[in-house]
Amino acid sequence: MNPLSAIRLPVSPEMMRGAGMSLTPDVAPHAIPQYELGKLTTQALQPSASNAPAGGGFEGTLGRLVAEVANKDVAAKDAVAGLTSGVPLHKVMLANEESSIAFQLMVEVRNKLLESYQELMRMQV
Amino acid sequence: MINVLTGINTTSSALEAERIRMEVISQNINNANVTRGADGLPYQRQQVVFETLLDQQSGGSPNSTTPTGIQVARIEKDQRAPRLVFEPGHKGADANGMVAYPDINIHEEMADLITAQRSFEANLAVVRNARMMAMQTLAIGKR
Repeated sequence: MNPLSAIRLPVSPEMMRGAGMSLTPDVAPHAIPQYELGKLTTQALQPSASNAPAGGGFEGTLGRLVAEVANKDVAAKDAVAGLTSGVPLHKVMLANEESSIAFQLMVEVRNKLLESYQELMRMQV
Repeated sequence: MINVLTGINTTSSALEAERIRMEVISQNINNANVTRGADGLPYQRQQVVFETLLDQQSGGSPNSTTPTGIQVARIEKDQRAPRLVFEPGHKGADANGMVAYPDINIHEEMADLITAQRSFEANLAVVRNARMMAMQTLAIGKR
């Protein structure tokens, strides 16, 4: 599962403007730059606290959320892999559950963003 | 670090401790008739001792006394005397034909096992509730 695929859509620039998110002028034209996304995908494979991309504003928050979800996903995968080397069953299940809920949280955020975008697109001018 | 499931680490430590407790009980049941252990003596009944795990012990701030879970402090040997059974033909019998068996009461062990199982279930119920609360909270955003 690639957590980024779910979030890629809602953070397009038009969307960010559409959703009325307060962005500083210098980041406004590109909500999450492509190179930033690329960095995320490769970094997200290693669980670490410093995975989150630095950056202020909503862009940074969203990036950190995605990185956090990716971390949990990796932790869950590690737990499943560790099952054969003595990781107790409850730890595996808890890690999976945590990852699943974090993912759903991210999807909810995405849905909310998309919803506000569509709402604005439907607006009569 | 997002905390999506409240108190999950504490519960995880409790589940772990209960699992160890169940393992020790099963060892007691397994060895109920072992008259000669590794040390040549009858098996001694064992029991777990739990203790609160503080924040400082699990890598938190050094002066914090916030409890963050529980752990098995040690596995103690029960010092009760062995049960002597008259079995002259037994290899381990003494001069009087008495064989020392571990004083393990299966009923007692089963009662302990049920307690451990129920504690485990109680902690699982905590997880279930935490999960349900998280899901219901996420449902706020749904239409």
